[in-house]
This record gives sequence, structure tokens and C-alpha cells, in this order.
Amino acid sequence: MKKILLSILLSVPFWVLGQGFQVNLQGQKQIGMAGAGSALALDEASIFYNPGAVSFLEKNSVSAGVNPLLFKSVFQQAGSNISENVKNKIAPPFEFYAVWGPKSNKWKLGLGVYTPFGGLVDWGDNWSGKYALTSLNLKAIYFQPTLSIKITDQIGVGAGFVYNHGDVNLQRALPVNYPDGRSGKATLEGTGSGYGWNAGLYIKTLSNVTFALVHKSKVITKLDGGTATFEVPNSLTTSFPAGSTFTAELPLPATTTLGIGIPLSSKTLLAFDASWVQWHIYKDLSFDYSTNTSALADTKSARNYRDGSSLKLGINHQATEKLALRAGIGYAFSPVQDGYVTPEAPDADRYILSAGAGYSFTSKFEVNASMFFEDVKSRTQKNIETGLNGTFKTLVYAPGISLTYKW
Amino acid sequence: MKKYILNSFIAATILFAASCKPEIETLAGTTAGQANFSKYIAVGNSLTSGFADGGLYLEGQKVAYPNLIAAQMATVGGGAFTSPFFTDAQANGSGYLTLSALVNGSPTLANVTTNLAYRDATHLTKYTGEVQNLGIPGMRVDLAFAAPFSAANPYLERLLTDTQVGTVSYFQFIQGRNHTFFSLWLGNNDALGYATNGGVTTDATNVLTDKSTFALLYSNLVNALTVGGQKGIVGTIPDVTSIPYFNTVTVAALLNAAKAINPAAAAIYIQTGANTSRIATAEDLIRLPFQTAGLFGVPNALGYFYGLDPRNPIANNWVLDRDEVLKVKDYVNSYNSSIMSLATSKGLAIADTYAYLNQIKTGIVIQGVGINSSFITGGAFSLDGVHLTPRGNAVIGNVFIDAINLKYGSTIPSIDITQYRGVKFPDNK
Repeated sequence: MKKILLSILLSVPFWVLGQGFQVNLQGQKQIGMAGAGSALALDEASIFYNPGAVSFLEKNSVSAGVNPLLFKSVFQQAGSNISENVKNKIAPPFEFYAVWGPKSNKWKLGLGVYTPFGGLVDWGDNWSGKYALTSLNLKAIYFQPTLSIKITDQIGVGAGFVYNHGDVNLQRALPVNYPDGRSGKATLEGTGSGYGWNAGLYIKTLSNVTFALVHKSKVITKLDGGTATFEVPNSLTTSFPAGSTFTAELPLPATTTLGIGIPLSSKTLLAFDASWVQWHIYKDLSFDYSTNTSALADTKSARNYRDGSSLKLGINHQATEKLALRAGIGYAFSPVQDGYVTPEAPDADRYILSAGAGYSFTSKFEVNASMFFEDVKSRTQKNIETGLNGTFKTLVYAPGISLTYKW
Repeated sequence: MKKYILNSFIAATILFAASCKPEIETLAGTTAGQANFSKYIAVGNSLTSGFADGGLYLEGQKVAYPNLIAAQMATVGGGAFTSPFFTDAQANGSGYLTLSALVNGSPTLANVTTNLAYRDATHLTKYTGEVQNLGIPGMRVDLAFAAPFSAANPYLERLLTDTQVGTVSYFQFIQGRNHTFFSLWLGNNDALGYATNGGVTTDATNVLTDKSTFALLYSNLVNALTVGGQKGIVGTIPDVTSIPYFNTVTVAALLNAAKAINPAAAAIYIQTGANTSRIATAEDLIRLPFQTAGLFGVPNALGYFYGLDPRNPIANNWVLDRDEVLKVKDYVNSYNSSIMSLATSKGLAIADTYAYLNQIKTGIVIQGVGINSSFITGGAFSLDGVHLTPRGNAVIGNVFIDAINLKYGSTIPSIDITQYRGVKFPDNK
């Protein structure tokens, strides 16, 4: 059986963990395993990873965690000898889960609040790509009430409704100069919302090998009435009217994951996830301004993402009754095509490395910690729209910790 | 155990937060290749001197393209680069134009008249000392060999001793400077002077230099600059029709303005070089200063409106008419083929500014900045419609750097154009 599984594993096409501005930090145990775990009924984070596995959880629980994320990117203009780094800012992806169900019944209810997409990049106001972007702060917070049902002792299904609260603040310099020579600036800020769903199937075979099939739908997030603020010399205020608003749409992609869980021993679990992220819906980033002038036209910047994918392999080892140790590796293929790399998401294919540990202080109280590292490959690109020409290299560090109470 | 986990977690966090910056390996700024940049001199005209906004002033001098290039050369063994800067007290040099207001999108220009560098009505304050930026506004290939011109041109006059004035030509002035590398971007004025005078020749500064004379004199310049086997770069001459000076006041714009006042206005009339009056077409180029000259539409004694009646056409000197455009283009092409064949035979790098400025006329986007040849809004050309803004200088500087790197295998780092401004907009309403 294990041999067959292995061959399935190896034959899985190179699906990727699409990245872009996807944040794969949704549960400390799974993060410690490089983000694999859709086929494991490990804990309440299954609300995100696989609603179908939630009904297989033995206990009710609540947990909350955070992953202070450091996105360290460096840029060097083509032909330049100067490297420019993003400022040290810590993005706070977080997660909260609650699972509850009567012990004797075959169903469980869950609620997940988590941040599956986001970005925090601040290149400063005077870097060489300032006219493309100076900073982006993007947050998507998903609220997901979930129902999971154990159909048989082998099969669980679950589904959740997703409400997204999105928040964006995008700033860039404008190439118009004040009398003292400094540049103008545009700030676009808004909140929006969108809806979607998350459904999963969990299958536990007689050999205790588990399978998962999970689909998270796309969530089209609409921003209406965002504010556009322009700092320009006063003589240009008729061209950049004050009180401008804009509408925009940010499509967040669907993700389909196929997962396998293999018990190597009574204490050691292996998990493998292959995900396919349908980023192709992110065709352009458009801003439709309430007032247009000759200098301020609606913009439609092509993004032309292709689908992304990822492969993640994780291991969970129960070292002692109270201590669990985890590790994982992964590889993700970027959805950003050549010519479309931007400083807002200087994306490229990436390696993932992770480690984690969990400790049960009592049967009810548990702490889990993780360390997540991504090595995004160096990428030299000239953007088709902005002409921004140079090399990006990014490293991502995200330590994380969560507290869980079970009963 | 609990302590162990917590401690290692905290330690790991601190470690990662503090260190592990991503790095990019770079080759730029490491080698001079086959060239030697220890003493670079720049030969040229107003573009080389940093002339902008209709004047030569300190801010423009500092961002002249040779100065920007020299700063980049410093990382590959380039030495100091000296320019005949005006002092801070006389920073406004010859005076220049500023944009004082935008009224319904129309620019109002004003003259800066404070802190000028005149020692009398026509002469600028003398500059003594080492000079490596040898750009002289108004310099032409033909006049570079005319000693009397050094007395007539105030920008060259200020760099000469009293005994040299009128007796030393620009050609002599640039020699004997022990340079190791040079740039030569000269010849624009041999065509531009004629063009900006509407195709009318009134004196030596608006003659269209004879093609073979140009080739001969240009080779004399190159020979003098390479006399010690020095390497260098030459720049081609831009197409005069690519600059805002000839593309802002269009026939269509004038006609629209006339129609706004008198809907019956049907055509714009110009006096051509052949001294005939005819209806203007889009191929006839009207000079930028015409918009502020106050001539258009004014009736003469017989009641004919200027430019709107065949009996009172726009005068010849305001218009580079279709035939003159073709003539200028033909001369520029000829000058450029002389420059290129000479540079090729001497093994020099070529900055093809002709090709590049034609690209800018269409519009290009560099590092997030759209750049085109539109007056004021295009960002590349200053308020005189002929000379470059600091941003335009940075862009052209990179054209030179790319050509030098390509020719000599050097890795002079490129100039970050986003650090340089376009036209300054007034902050008053």
C-alpha cells in the first residue's frame, strides 16, 4: 500500500503552491510542516485546511495564533550597483479557530478567522522604483463558519461559508515635481468585501492512510468608495482633484488541494499536499476614479497571473507524550509571468523550509510554535507596463506561536 | 522543556529579524574595461554644459549629463570632474525661465533675474581653474574653429583669459588637457541654429553648415581628441523635429484658438522660405516662442489678421516650413552619417541620441516614469523646449553609459533617473 502511495505521490504533476500575495500561515502545526496537512485531522486548523477532517477531531477546542512575518526583499536596478531593501515591517498574519460538537454525534461546527492573503511592503518614499510603488499594505481577513459531518467512520465532508473583509493601502510617487524638486504622491486607500466558500473531503483508509480533496473558492473582493489622495503642487490640483474616490476589484484565487497522510509509525505522521491555485483570475489591477481629468485617467494595469501551484511535505513526530516535533519542505511555482513582476509582489518560484514544536502542558492546554522560511529565487525582470528594470530577491521569515484550549 | 522551547523560539526570532538580508550579486561598478576614466573631459554645446530653461545656471550645470556620467565613472576608476560652476551667490548664472503659473492648463513663464552672474551688461563673471566639462552653449562645429567667436560667445569668453579672448578658438581651447577619456556631442547647433530661426539665416549662428565642411571639421575635432590614442564616445545629433520647440504650437492648435474667437476662421497662413504665402499644414512647424510673441490674430493697418489672411501671413522666421524641415532632416542625417563613420573608423563608442530622442518623441516608460517630448508635461525637456530637464539629462546620461559599457567592456553603473526631476510646477494656485 505504501509503495502504491509513493508512486502516486511521485506522479502528481508539478502543481504549485501559488504564491503572489497568498499567505500560507494558517495553523502552527501545519506551518511547522511547510503548510501540508489537509489530509490530517490534527487540530482545529482543519477548518481552513480541510473542513471534511474537522468531524474527525476528538475534542472541542479553541486556538489563537499569530505569525509575525518579515518580508525581506531587495532590488537592484539593471546596471546599477546599489541595492535597495524594503523597510523592516512586520506583517501580522493571525488565525483563530473554534471547533465544537456534541461528543456522541457525527457532526461538528467550526469557526475560522484567518488571513489567507495579504502583503506588507514598504520600499520607502525615495527608492528607484518609487514611481511604480512606494508601499502596499493589503489584508484579507476571512471569516469562515463551518459544518463538518462524519458520513462513515472512513469519510468526512465539510463546508464553510467565507466572508472576506479586505483592506488596502497603496502608495506611490507621482512624477510631477514641486518647486523644491520633490515628487508628488498618490495614496489609494479602501476597504471592501467578498464572499466564497471552502469545502473538503477527508477519507481514512483501513490502513490509516488518509486522503484529502479540498477546494477553496475564489473570493472577488470589491472596493467601493475608496479614497484617492493626491499630493501635488497646487497648480496641478485641478488635474488631481481633491476628494476623489475610486472603485477597484481584487480577485482572490480559488485553491484546490490534494493531500495524503501516511502514518509511518504510531508516533510519526507524514503529510503531503499538492495545491493548485487558480491565480489566472487576477488579470489586471484597475482603478476607476470618480473624477477623471487629462492627467488622471482610470488605470488598468495588466497582471496576467497564471495559475500557481505548490508541493509540500511535512512530518509530525510525537517525541514524548507531551512534546511533538515537526519539519517540512516545499516548493512553490510563482503565478507571476515574465514581464509582470512588480514591487508590490516581487514574486518568483520559491523553496519552503519549516520547523515546529508543540507542547501539551495539560490535557487541556497546548502551545505550538513554528518557524517558516521561504527562499524566493532571484528574478531579473523588466516590467512591461512600468519599465521597472532590475533584479528582485526575497527571503521570508515567519516565526509563529499559538495557544490552544481543548475540552 | 517549556523554557527550552520558549528560549529557542525567542532566539530564533531575534536571529532572523536581525540578519539574513537577501543579497544580489552585482557586476556593475567593478571594471573600467578597456577604457581609462581617470581624466574625463566633455566636449560639446549647451546640452553638455547643462544649459536648461533658456539659461545656464548652477542647478542645471550640476546635473549636466557629463557630470552625471562622471559621478558613475568614479566607481570604476574615474577621477574628479570639474565644471565651471557659478558660485552660490551667482547661482542663477545667465538667468532662466520658470513656470510661474498654469492658467487653464496654459503655462505662464517668468524670468529669474536675481543672483545673476554678470560682470557687466553682456559679460558673465570669469571662471578660472581646471575645467573638464567643456560644454559651451551655442557652440557649433564650424564656429569651434573661429577664434573671433570666443569673444562673441559669453560662455566661452568667461573661461578664457583676457589675452585669449578673440584669439583662441574653441578647438584650441579643448586641446592639451591631458585627458584619458572624452565625450563629444557637438553639431546640433549646426542644424538647430538654422531651424530655431525658422529656416532664415541672418548671421553665423544660424547658418546650416555645409555637409562636407562638417565632416572635415568634425574629423579634425576627433583627431585632436584621440591624438594620444585616447578612447571616447561621440553622440549623434537629434532630429530637430523631435523637440517640443517645434511640436507645441501646432497649426491645428492655432486654428482651434482662432475658431474659438471667430468660427469663420478656416485656415492658418504662413510665409514660406520661398517667400510665398500659403495655407499651413501639419507638416509646417511653428516655433515655441510664437505662443507668447503676441502677434497671432492681430490686425495690420489694412485690417488683415496676422496668420489668418494670405495678405498677412505668419512671417517666415516663425515657421520651419515643410521644405525647410526636409532640408534640416537631410543635413542632420548627413552629419550623423559622418559622425558614425568617423567614430567607427576610430573605434569610438557611439551614443545614438538621434535614435533615442525619436523614441522619446513617441513616449517611453523608464523605471515607472513616462517620458515623452510634450512641452512641460513630457518631463524630458525643460521650459525652453530644446534643452533637457535633470530627468532628461539622467536618461541621456544612461544612453552614453550603455554605449561606453558596450564598446569598452566596462561596467559603469547606470544613473538612477528617478532621483532627478522633470519640470517644476508652481505650488501657488
